[in-house]
Amino acid sequence: MALKKAAAQAITTDDERQRDRDLDGLVLALADADPLARRWAARDLVAYPAATAALIARLVVEPEPSVMEVILTTLTRIGDEQAVIGLVQCLRSEDAMLRNAAIEAMKLLPDEVAPMMGRLLADTDPDVRIFAVNVLESLRHPQVESWLLRVISDDAHINVCATAVDLLGEVGSEIAVPALLALKQRFTEEPYIQFAADLALKRIAAG
Amino acid sequence: MEPTTISDDEFQKFREFFYRKTGILFEDSKRYFVDKRLLERMTLTASETFRSYFTMLRFQTSGEELQALINAMTVNETYFFREEYQFQCLVNSMLEEIVARRTTNTPIRIWSVPSSSGEEPYSIAIYLLEYWPHLSHWDVEIISSDIDTQILNQARRGLYSPRAIQHLPASLLKKYFHRDGEYYQIENDLRDAVEFTRVNVSDAADMRLHRQFDVIFCRNLLIYFDDLSRKQTAESFYDALNPGGFVCLGHSESMSRISSLFRVRKFPEAIVYQKPWGSR
Repeated sequence: MALKKAAAQAITTDDERQRDRDLDGLVLALADADPLARRWAARDLVAYPAATAALIARLVVEPEPSVMEVILTTLTRIGDEQAVIGLVQCLRSEDAMLRNAAIEAMKLLPDEVAPMMGRLLADTDPDVRIFAVNVLESLRHPQVESWLLRVISDDAHINVCATAVDLLGEVGSEIAVPALLALKQRFTEEPYIQFAADLALKRIAAG
Repeated sequence: MEPTTISDDEFQKFREFFYRKTGILFEDSKRYFVDKRLLERMTLTASETFRSYFTMLRFQTSGEELQALINAMTVNETYFFREEYQFQCLVNSMLEEIVARRTTNTPIRIWSVPSSSGEEPYSIAIYLLEYWPHLSHWDVEIISSDIDTQILNQARRGLYSPRAIQHLPASLLKKYFHRDGEYYQIENDLRDAVEFTRVNVSDAADMRLHRQFDVIFCRNLLIYFDDLSRKQTAESFYDALNPGGFVCLGHSESMSRISSLFRVRKFPEAIVYQKPWGSR
């Protein structure tokens, strides 16, 4: 026994290759009993934007986190409007892992998520509005600050405002100052809002 | 007008941002290094102030400037026994766990990617020969890959400058190399022990050909990728590993910020990432 040169031809197995690798075959493979086959199917479906609906349908019933993660990566790579709509649906899920994974995926799609952000921030469910602010946390988009300003100016829910003001402490500029002062006036009895707004104002003043 | 200075507050702001994006945390002692590169990037992008540059860095949709800055901030060099603590972890902890649970006598497979000019895979080979007593009971295959075919040829050739071998103990240098003018030629037995292959880790078809590994060394590569590519690569590594297999990243990298697929394992020598036993 010793160091041994591997065969030039890498080891392959056909355990994930039992169906045709066309759209229909891959969609069928998404329901395979073997998670490895499901991961490969989800990964290969990146070549088929028409698979978005099938990927979303699988995502909401998929029990295996590793498959879920690959499906989300594929949806992010497809990144079209349908994929983003599917990710938005996941924000309403009761499954915290799925919700968080969808938030992370949406952060990677600034241009596609941007047109929906206004609607998400106006959603009737405050949890969805908080998740939308969570998406803004790492969204590389020039409108991030103005979206946050709208939240702290208009949103009546304290938890949504608190999430937004935390983020403004990081990304806010001088133009956020009047809205932050107004927020303090709106929630005079809420110590956390006072604290977070003061911190944001201090950070903005420090440049 | 060309920017000339970075203030203390700007340095702090940049340092926090860069750490969040890359996991690389610059100590105060790196201030000169960081300022110099920041000012260079600001000049090249015609940014007159740190503030305008930082705004572009944070909000640029393509992420191009962030990538250019990362490239400028990372030193792309390699040498024998770099981050040696992970090789110690390999022979003292990871392989011990793998062989303890192995039910067949199939070879142990180790993947070193990117190979660069071969210092890492040959270091692994030397470490196993010198410090892993079970090598007499197990076959070990070392595969090393890179996207760059020229660097792969250089790795296969195995000819190194004094700088590349400077951290090797003299006894190992004597045992595994011979002088060739100013350079050091690695012995043929070691060259023959490593299989070099070309791979683009972002390409699913390439990755599918690389399977059934017990340990993957992927150090200081993912820091050059964007978030999505990192995630995609981590998922491909997951499928390239046997259950219980390990991924070793560079000291400034963290799998926890890339993917939740792996378990964090804290061994005495190093923190590494494991595909859970029993997973498929």
